[in-house]
Amino acid sequence: MSILLQLIYSGIALGMIYAVIAFGYQLTFATSGTLNFGQGDALMLGALMGLTLVTLGVNYWLMIPLVCVFGMLQGAFVERIGVRPAIKIKSEFGWIMSTIALGIIFKNVAENVWGRDDLRFPSPLPEAPLNVFGANVLPMELLVVCGALAMMLAVEFFNRKTILGKAVVATANDRDAAALMGINTGLVITFSYALSSLTAAFAGVLIAPLTLTGATMGAVLGLKAFAVAIIGGLSSGLGIVVGGVILGIAETTTGFYLSTGYKDVPGLVLLLIVLSLKPAGLFGKTAIKKV
Amino acid sequence: MVMRLKSVVAAFAFCVAASNGYAADPIKIGVDGPFTGGSSSMGVSMRDGVRLAAAEINKAGGVLGRPIVLIERDDEAKNERGVQIAQELINKEKVVAIVGYINTGVALASQRFFQEAKIPVFNNVATGSIITKQFSDQPDNYVFRNAAADRIQAPMIVDEAVTKRGFKKVAILADSTNYGQLGREDLEKALAAVGVKPVAVEKFNIKDVDMTAQLLKAKQAGAEAVLTYGIGPELAQIANGMAKLGWKVPLIGSWTLSMANYIDNAGANGEGARMPQTFIQVPNTAKRKAFIDAYLKEFKPKNDRIDSPVSAAQGYDSIYLLAAAITQAGTTDGPKVRAALENLNTKVEGVVMVYNKPFTHSDHEAVSPNVPVIGEVKGGRVVYAYDSDKEGGGQLRIKQASRD
Repeated sequence: MSILLQLIYSGIALGMIYAVIAFGYQLTFATSGTLNFGQGDALMLGALMGLTLVTLGVNYWLMIPLVCVFGMLQGAFVERIGVRPAIKIKSEFGWIMSTIALGIIFKNVAENVWGRDDLRFPSPLPEAPLNVFGANVLPMELLVVCGALAMMLAVEFFNRKTILGKAVVATANDRDAAALMGINTGLVITFSYALSSLTAAFAGVLIAPLTLTGATMGAVLGLKAFAVAIIGGLSSGLGIVVGGVILGIAETTTGFYLSTGYKDVPGLVLLLIVLSLKPAGLFGKTAIKKV
Repeated sequence: MVMRLKSVVAAFAFCVAASNGYAADPIKIGVDGPFTGGSSSMGVSMRDGVRLAAAEINKAGGVLGRPIVLIERDDEAKNERGVQIAQELINKEKVVAIVGYINTGVALASQRFFQEAKIPVFNNVATGSIITKQFSDQPDNYVFRNAAADRIQAPMIVDEAVTKRGFKKVAILADSTNYGQLGREDLEKALAAVGVKPVAVEKFNIKDVDMTAQLLKAKQAGAEAVLTYGIGPELAQIANGMAKLGWKVPLIGSWTLSMANYIDNAGANGEGARMPQTFIQVPNTAKRKAFIDAYLKEFKPKNDRIDSPVSAAQGYDSIYLLAAAITQAGTTDGPKVRAALENLNTKVEGVVMVYNKPFTHSDHEAVSPNVPVIGEVKGGRVVYAYDSDKEGGGQLRIKQASRD
């Protein structure tokens, strides 16, 4: 029983990592109908930036807001350079290529600045595992889960209570009506990209102590997080958390009970099932297009 | 005006022709390895060892009076990149030989191009056992190696775990690449030879960070030690995963447990891991001291620690062996260099060992089972695990006659 519990804990920690990245996908999709395919690389840049600051002597907790600001700037940059021109000419999929391209550029820049090797991120919390109900959990994993949930709650709060948040929700709902109401939709879209990269950078510094920090850390995570975003539904924050946890637990339990060679299979099988049965995602709302 | 132009052109042509006569025709040697990605510490160390040797040889006058020019290419540890590079080096750059190949999969995919073109391939790091036997059905085999093959390392790993330290229940954790899976087969064969069956055999992918499932399976089966076949980053995650589960059993595995990115990423959790090594960064002979000092001075690695000492030393030796063969053959013609390598008359004093007739027509492995020693990760570096090896390390080993 304790083995199953251990697998579940590992799965939840892994799943929350995916969820927090997937959250970024959802933020930009909601407002502009575009996705930042360089999300994994935004995470990587945040983690490497955080590593540099920490090695320069900045305290981990102080470093987090600095990295968040960096994430915002990076997101705004991606939007200006890659997405805005594509939206302006009403290109259906131009933003896909430009966000992928920007992601590759960031990865190469990171390789040249920080080197190609994987680096170790010093953990801010003690590394000894805690025993919870008979299975081990690392304090850092608890921090990841709490941090992810806290951030998602903060964004929800922002959306509902603040004026800028309401502007974002309005733009997401109906871009043209929002523009007519006097909302600067261009700024809102830039802001949603900035926010999405902020969440990715924040996720980066959260998970860096648990995994290997390097220029290639974003690729696999970005892809799996995309699967989570699809499974959970691109319009629901709760769906993403549930989707992430399902994927994480599916991975660890398949690895143990079936075979470790098939660890990546269940997530992708789940993706296919969701796409064929409920394409809007488990918690997503099916859009009805009236002609 | 026309006369003026003609004389200028004539003078220019004369200068070009004259300068061609003075420049010695360089000997182009290809260098193929992963200089980016998870295997890069091995690739970069190998390349630096090769560069050091080539620079030393060129300073002493080159080979046959001609300078060595290295054509370096990054294969990113990807089999398909290795194939592309092989074709480019043969057809466009026209190299006379190639040194390198860190990853078994890349070597196996790329070597056949050189074999077909009759260009010698000098494997200086890749350890998959079948690498030198890939073309054993052909009359002439152009693949040579001066690294310790897995068919030597696997029995050493098993000997250390089962015979020396008495573990009867072991688990094998190997990655899903050619290297990991071929190594796993060698381990299973070696274990069968001492009558032990592994209690768990698990695999993981490159770039995996969570090893919980694999470690839990091994723990549940009652393993007393974990035998590994993988590369640095994933091995570090195994060590960290063990610490997280609170299940610390000895890690004994292939030589990649000496990689800098394993040691650095595992930190304190990686201490005590043991692996076979052909070279440990300890200046216990004059030649080794000279090599280590020259390497540190030229490349200034962090903390004065060579990222992959085995790769650097073997890379260095491979160039010297190739140079000796080309000198003996008197030409860079592939078949003649191969023949010279198989009948090397001069003794080459290398960093790893003394090469005295290292190759024959049927045996292309320079390293015999008596050459590697067991190394251990201690204090963030690789040291000799057994003092008897350290004391005896002052004597450079000579190859024993091989039994197969």
